[in-house]
Amino acid sequence: MWSKKAAAVAGGAIFLTLAGLIRLNYLFISAGMVMLTFVVLSSFLDVWMPNVKIRRETSSDNIFEDGDMNVRFIVKNKGLGIGFVEIYDQLPPQARITKGSNYTLLYMRPWQEVSFEYSLKLPLRGHYHLGPVKLRVKDAFDLFYNEKSEESLHSFSVFPQIEVLEEQIIKSRAPKLLSGAMPLNVIGAGTEFYSLREFVPGDSLRSVNWKALAKKGKMMVNETVREDVMDVILLVDAREVSAVGGGRDTPLEMSCRAAATYAKQLLDERNNVALMIYGDTVDRVDLDRGEHHLFKILTSLSSAKPQGNLKLEIVLKDTLPYIPSGSPIILFSSLDDDHTISEAFTNTISRGYTITTVSPSSLDFEERMKRIPAQPLLIARIERDNLISEIRSFGMQVGDWKSDEAVNTALQGG
Amino acid sequence: MEEIEVKKSRIPNLKEVFNYKDFFGDYPLIFLIKIISSVALVYVITEFYNYHNPMDSLITKKVNDFNDPDDLSFIPNSKIFILWGFIAGFVLYIFTLFKGKYKFLILFLTIILVGQYISDPALDWKIGDHVIPGKVGEEGAEKWTWKPIKILYDDKKGSEIRINEAYNKSMNLIFGSIPFLGGYGIWKRKGWAIAASVGLAIIIGFLYTPNSCLENYDSSYCGYETESEVKTWEEYLAGGVFIGMGLVIYIELAYAAIKYENYAEQFKPAGLDASLLTDAQKKGVSRTLMTLFVSYLVNLGVMLFITFIVAQGVININDYLSTTDGRIQDSIELNGPYGIVFTSLIFFMLLGFIRMFIGADYQTDEN
Repeated sequence: MWSKKAAAVAGGAIFLTLAGLIRLNYLFISAGMVMLTFVVLSSFLDVWMPNVKIRRETSSDNIFEDGDMNVRFIVKNKGLGIGFVEIYDQLPPQARITKGSNYTLLYMRPWQEVSFEYSLKLPLRGHYHLGPVKLRVKDAFDLFYNEKSEESLHSFSVFPQIEVLEEQIIKSRAPKLLSGAMPLNVIGAGTEFYSLREFVPGDSLRSVNWKALAKKGKMMVNETVREDVMDVILLVDAREVSAVGGGRDTPLEMSCRAAATYAKQLLDERNNVALMIYGDTVDRVDLDRGEHHLFKILTSLSSAKPQGNLKLEIVLKDTLPYIPSGSPIILFSSLDDDHTISEAFTNTISRGYTITTVSPSSLDFEERMKRIPAQPLLIARIERDNLISEIRSFGMQVGDWKSDEAVNTALQGG
Repeated sequence: MEEIEVKKSRIPNLKEVFNYKDFFGDYPLIFLIKIISSVALVYVITEFYNYHNPMDSLITKKVNDFNDPDDLSFIPNSKIFILWGFIAGFVLYIFTLFKGKYKFLILFLTIILVGQYISDPALDWKIGDHVIPGKVGEEGAEKWTWKPIKILYDDKKGSEIRINEAYNKSMNLIFGSIPFLGGYGIWKRKGWAIAASVGLAIIIGFLYTPNSCLENYDSSYCGYETESEVKTWEEYLAGGVFIGMGLVIYIELAYAAIKYENYAEQFKPAGLDASLLTDAQKKGVSRTLMTLFVSYLVNLGVMLFITFIVAQGVININDYLSTTDGRIQDSIELNGPYGIVFTSLIFFMLLGFIRMFIGADYQTDEN
């Protein structure tokens, strides 16, 4: 294939020759002829161009936000040709290269194998792919080239960033006794010793501590630590309004990071966790536990896109029948543009559920971008404070989460 | 403990004034390529003007037509304008390296200096005592006598000469625009400037008419005596081969400097400079650049040698056919420009025919 440069040089050479003929300028004719000869001879170089095969290897299939992915290319010349090879790996626009380059220019000798690598970072959760790889085999002078797009796609997900939480997030009022349950440090049916107390009618004789009876002369029974697991529902607001701000600083991005962090801790504590993301529809990941389930939740969070405008009342009315009675619900929402919030909370609490709210403040983003004048911003702040106070008045915990704060502090002071 | 206030120095840091890193670059090899391509540019242009005397150019005639008919001060000298044209392009590049207010300051100073240079003779006035006839004495006096007055002498003519000189120099820049654009393009890494310099060379060459100066002006002005000094067509052909080769070297090296610099750019962290690369990374890039450039130079050298042989071959074949007795010589006028073009077209047609068979279309294997 002719490059622009080849066309320009050949065009210039032909023009020189013709101009030489018109003006009877021998110098022009011979200079044009030399340039034309150079171009024509260069076209023969592709006879010896290398036959290249490429292979891409990556350090991991999925990464977390701001995590590094190393990409390695192995390029092999499978023939006797010699020449220049340009390789360009197409990246998602959000990707940032931290080391090396996704473009390289190589001079390939016969049967030579060369590798090059680069590292990239993706600051935003989502599903991405690397590739296709653009491959260009060309002569030394960039006059003629053969181009090919290798459909070598590598799909991967970028999961929301997970922070380590210092405290237990939530305690259920409806624990379930299951195998592999964890001690909750409250008295209850379990195997781990907690304290001694006096025997009361109804206590099982198997719980009597006979050594304590011999020592104190009265019937004493062992109390054990209660072991349980909970069914926790994570409810993420992915309505269109949750995209206020930009980049990582949007309520949805913050909600996803918080939901991922909470899910990780809850699953580490062997609880059952379900995820519901609402926007234009409700996407669910059903109750389950374990590492594999965390992967499902993270994948689902990576897919969350701001769209639709489903109100919380409708979402809860629709989903509550499927949520085990008394299970705690953690809502991640900026609480913007939803007049049904009070009613939704009232209905849910009256059915015996508890809702803990983690609310990233979208007003901080608006203030930073200076899109709203001071007066309306002040009014919006007052309205938000009123709504949070109202929810707190129901006895529910609400975390007013500022954008520059860690997930750890989201529920502090709530 | 008392806090010590660190006062910021009033002398600005060199980095804040001048982007010297752009000049030297991060890799000495690229700096070297720029120097070689600059030398190639100056060589090509010098050779070009050896065969295209600017005195015989239509541009010279037009400038003289525009000037006063008695004023033949416009004498374009390739020895001067090539060097100064290149220096002007290089200085323009250096000017672009200055930052913010310093760039403005230099522009301002340049305008002031040019203004001062032109107006200096006119402003350099002197006062002298003179006497003129006048009526001296009380009001209504009738008697005429010599009256002393002060006169301001200024040198307007001197300024006019300087204006004319500046005009002629700027007209010289038309011829010097080839090295000007080339020099700027090489150092500033502007492909369009390099292409424009080649384009201008073609246009200026097109406007060249042999001996047109002698037809219009004296030989003392033109700098050559008779038309016999005009080169023979064999000399032109040989010169053309060298100019063509020089053009190819200039274009190739200038674009190589841009290409390899862009390649090295890829390794810099986004939006930052190469100082953040580790020594090992820098050495790695340098090594790769060296490998690529050496391979490139070998390719260029071999290709230029073959091109030279083939081009000479075509000319010699044409010469042989046109001077050998026989039907070919009699049938068309081979011993002339049309003959050379005809011979070379046949040659390129043959090459194209061979290319059809041995130039297999390249296909990379799917994997």
